Amino acid sequence: MEEDLKTSAKGQILSIRDLPTLPKVLDEVTRLVQDPNTSIEAIAKVISRDQVLSAKVLKMVNSPVYGFPGRIGSVQHALVLLGFNVIRGVIISTSVFDIMSSTMEGLWEHSVGCALATGLVARQAGLKDPEEYSVCGLLHDLGKVVAAVQLPELHRAVGEAVRERDLRWFEAEKAVLGFGHDRINAWLAQHWRLPPTLKEAMSAHHFPERAQLYPQHAAAVHLGDFIVRVFEYGNGGDDQAAPLAPQALKALKLTLADLDAVLDGFAENLSEVSGVNFAPEVPEKST
Amino acid sequence: MPACLFSRQQRAMLLSPDPELAALFRSLWDPTEVEWTVMAEGRRAMEAIFNEPPDLLVVDNRLADIPSAEVAAIVKSENVYRQLPVILCLDAVDLERDWDWSEIEADDFLARPFSAREARERVQLTLCRASRGMDANPLTKLPGNTSIIGRIQDLIDRQDDFALAYCDLDYFKSFNDKYGFSRGDEVLMMTARVIVNTIRGFQGVKSFVGHVGGDDFVFIVPADVAEEACRRVVAAFDDIVPHFYDEDDREKGCIVSTDRQGEVRTFPLMALSIAVVFNTGGRLKHYGEASAIAMGLKKKAKENPKSSYVLDRRSE
Repeated sequence: MEEDLKTSAKGQILSIRDLPTLPKVLDEVTRLVQDPNTSIEAIAKVISRDQVLSAKVLKMVNSPVYGFPGRIGSVQHALVLLGFNVIRGVIISTSVFDIMSSTMEGLWEHSVGCALATGLVARQAGLKDPEEYSVCGLLHDLGKVVAAVQLPELHRAVGEAVRERDLRWFEAEKAVLGFGHDRINAWLAQHWRLPPTLKEAMSAHHFPERAQLYPQHAAAVHLGDFIVRVFEYGNGGDDQAAPLAPQALKALKLTLADLDAVLDGFAENLSEVSGVNFAPEVPEKST
Repeated sequence: MPACLFSRQQRAMLLSPDPELAALFRSLWDPTEVEWTVMAEGRRAMEAIFNEPPDLLVVDNRLADIPSAEVAAIVKSENVYRQLPVILCLDAVDLERDWDWSEIEADDFLARPFSAREARERVQLTLCRASRGMDANPLTKLPGNTSIIGRIQDLIDRQDDFALAYCDLDYFKSFNDKYGFSRGDEVLMMTARVIVNTIRGFQGVKSFVGHVGGDDFVFIVPADVAEEACRRVVAAFDDIVPHFYDEDDREKGCIVSTDRQGEVRTFPLMALSIAVVFNTGGRLKHYGEASAIAMGLKKKAKENPKSSYVLDRRSE
């Protein structure tokens, strides 16, 4: 049964439904899955750059149908286990919402950038499976996407609150919805049986000190989010610098000098991810 | 009927006092395809069914001595006969009452009046469905031993070149002992997906994947892709399997446990061992030869605690 998440605004609820994705990424993956010579790696590379497609395949591979719920946190592993036929099915049934190109402009860059930064943080901290940390970074703002698509009016109200009251997006969400995207993330992750590491990173990236089981995952995403904002790459909804929780560095046993090294690494690698064209399909409406 | 619908002659049994019904079923297939045994009395048929179970049983509800549902119940209550598909022949009047199909366990029914065409298609569908579901592994739903042996023998008989790979997991038992069988099942489901998807990844080749049981799997591919298939299966398995351990064991890279003698023992993470037998130039005559060669090779693959594969190159 589908459980809904009620916001504090009367009659406004979030429901588990079809999610939007980026037209260009979808086109690219569609082309790849139609080519019998495509490797899983090639598909994984493209899907890993879209938070919604990544969430979809992870959701599917962690469903009880496959018999190992909550075990798979890597897009590459998910694709190996799902196989071409299932991936094709996921792609075919993914629809594109035009709304995405205008309302969440900048969020893809922000998410992809955060994935890159989080992966670099994990490498710098010497953590195992840095790819899994990248996925955490990629999905850390999924709740914003879901809210934007399903509750466009409230989404606009959050945007207005950000501008008029000079709030962070996260704070404005609380004022308008009654909770932040961290809560939406936790709800999605729970419902989709994503691995506990992913769930905690998605729900605790604003307050890594609150992470109970996987503080390193939450801390790595927290730092990744911070780094991508420092570079002003993409847009998480507001233009404010996120505060840096000192506990995040502590949890990963990193120093400020280590953070500098990650920032350098990020600058070097940014061209790699920004090569993916995330420009909206529809020209932005003049405001 | 497509020539390949049944791989061999099917033996069907009809229990009915109605000679017209018997004549109808007999007229639908050439006896080399489906051979019918007809008995007019239900009770007397039971012994014949138990001694030599047919491939299909059709029971007419017009039997004087026993209701058709009871025949179905008797057959289906024994685990060794459960797979025998049973079709009931009912009259329109029979359908005026409710039938509790969760109790009766028949596989299908025909309601009079039915056309010859309908009877034929129903029976064929039932036979095909039965052969599909018959020996699928209950966990992974992959074809089981009967299908595996059938497939291998079929390829041998046709003198096709193929590579037959036997896969099993090293240290699966120690994983099961520590984490419990339901976590073990998770690993088996994962292994099945890894093998199936890797093998299917080879486009345009004939292939087959089966689950012998427990942690034993087989796959069949053309000889020229066998080594690449092993390489890919092993790589994907090794990449994914650590995630099925708890974090501390994954960190350590092993399970530490105490055996019954009180001795502390260390078990590495699970690995996949694959032994590949090639049938080239009609070298094999019987599937038993293939499995015997494979068992010998597997010992060699198992000497390596890491995932590994051994190819039998003797014939080349």
